[in-house]
Parts: sequence; C-alpha cells; structure tokens
Amino acid sequence: MQRALAAAMKGASDMLPLSFAVLPWGILFGSLAVHRGFDWFEAQLFSGIVFGGAVQIVTVELMANNASLFTVLFSAFVISSRHFLYGLALRERLSIKPLRWRLGLGFLLTDELFALSGDRRAYRNRFRLYYALGAGGSFYLAWNLWTFLGIFAGTSLPDLTELGLDFAIAATFLALVLPGIKTVASFSAAVVAGVASVTFTLWEFDLGLVCAALLAMCVGFSIQKIRGQF
Amino acid sequence: MNILTILLLASVTFGTRYLFLEGRLPLRLGSNVKQLLSYSGPSVLVAICTPIIFVHDHRLDTSLDNPYLWGAAVAILAGYKTAFNIYWCVGTGTLAFVLVNYQG
Repeated sequence: MQRALAAAMKGASDMLPLSFAVLPWGILFGSLAVHRGFDWFEAQLFSGIVFGGAVQIVTVELMANNASLFTVLFSAFVISSRHFLYGLALRERLSIKPLRWRLGLGFLLTDELFALSGDRRAYRNRFRLYYALGAGGSFYLAWNLWTFLGIFAGTSLPDLTELGLDFAIAATFLALVLPGIKTVASFSAAVVAGVASVTFTLWEFDLGLVCAALLAMCVGFSIQKIRGQF
Repeated sequence: MNILTILLLASVTFGTRYLFLEGRLPLRLGSNVKQLLSYSGPSVLVAICTPIIFVHDHRLDTSLDNPYLWGAAVAILAGYKTAFNIYWCVGTGTLAFVLVNYQG
C-alpha cells in the first residue's frame, strides 16, 4: 500500500509543472463561464465532469451565444477527437485491466496524462497504474481548483494567459519527447508533426492537431518500413 | 437545460477517451497498426508544443525576440546536459523565456 502511495506521489510530482502551467486557463475558464451567465455550480460542473480545457472554453462561448445543441456537441467532438488516438495507443495495455482502472484512467486521460504515458513500462503493473492515477488525479484536482479560483475571484485577478505559462507546457513536452527521438523515422515524424501542426494552426484548421499527428505517424512508419527493407 | 448540455458534453469527452480502452470493442490491432501507433506519442506532443512556440497572434513568429524560441532552445540544451530531467528543462527554459520576455 505504501509503495502504491509512493508511486501515486511520484506521478503527482511529475505532473506538477503541467498542473501549474494550466493555472491561467483554469482561471480564465472559471471567470469566463461566470461572465457569460453560468452560475458557479454549472461552471464548476464543466471542469468536474467535462474536464477538457479547450472543449470547455469553446463550448461555454458557444452556449452563451445560443448555438444549437448540435453545434456545441459537434465542436466538442472535433476538439476531443485526438483522444481516440490516445485510447488506441494505450489500448493494448489498458483494455486488459479491471473496469475500475479503465474507467478511472480513461476519465483522466488528458493530453497531459498521455504525455506522461510514453514509458515502455507505463500501465504495465500495479504501481504504474497508481503512478498514472497520481498524475491524472492531481491534474484533475489542480484544474478544478484553478476553475474554482476563476469562478470566485476571476474579476479581481489579472489576465494571466499573457504571462507565458504555456511555455512550461511546451518545455515539458519537449523534455518528454526528445529522448525518444533516436531514429531517422522518429526524427522525421517529429519534424513533420511540427511543420504540419504550425501550418494547420496558421490556417485555423480545427482538426489540425489530429491531422498533423496522423500525418507524422504515417511518415515515421513509412520510413521505418522502407529502411527496414535494406 | 445548461446542466443537461454539460452532461452531454461530458459524455462526448469521456466517450472519446474511453472508447478504445474497452476490451469488448471488437478491434484487434495488427502489428503494422501497433508500429504506426508507436509514433503517436512523439507526434502528438510535438504537434501540441510547436504552435505554442511558433504561433502568436495567428502569425508565424520566428524572430529572435520571440521568447518561446529562446526558452525552447535553452530547454533542449539543458535536456541534453541532464538526460532530459523535466525540472531542469522547464526551470532553465523558463528562466531564459522570462529573461527575453521582460528585457524590453
């Protein structure tokens, strides 16, 4: 039990930079929701059960503008579609685990938790599951706490999104990605992902992230196949 | 009404996250698909972080006074020196970011 707790604490501490990096957006969401006429309970409920930064900020705006239910749900689906990729990537490891682990970790499977799932042994044993629970759970608590701050103190807080805390997300993801880039195939995939994602972002293409990632995966895989033949 | 919409939204985000974790879903991943998916981690993470570094105010920013660029360069350097310790990468990168960001 003690080792499980230690594993969960390790997960939480590895997640800490990311938990703090999303503080401005949690606060932004909380104050935005209240500003757009949602009551505190609805605003907190968003973070409590929807639990997705971009989805929440976009849909709360759409709902405030009286967009149709279909538009709201479809936008959420488009933004959320990258999670299919995470589920597929982790399917082999998690689909064999007990239901409570699948439900719990599935609910907590954000970009940030997926970022910490790259280890070869991730989710393989009980302690790795507790590690993920600590990482994902602490991120959930942080996101809800920042939302709470935004709801109740949003108007008296300065806009922190210009502060550049998103840099911490970029730096953390770089630190997680770079050690794994050891082959021509993985290097090519990373370059394609970067170029495509920046291009799609400039085009303001909503499915840009997923498409850039899929394109990069295909390039990496193709190069691996071609090189394997010689 | 809002509560109902929020519940539906929750089922959308949870559904996209959970779907492929369900073992009873009749889907077997062949070895090619598994190899393809082995590139998903780095691809997604790079795709998330490059726009943060390079796109500001809907424009490509590759100028030398872009603090994100300096921060990322220092974070990468620090990474190679410290076996990619997250705290060193984020710490030194953020320091460089802050120095460039607030110098002028």
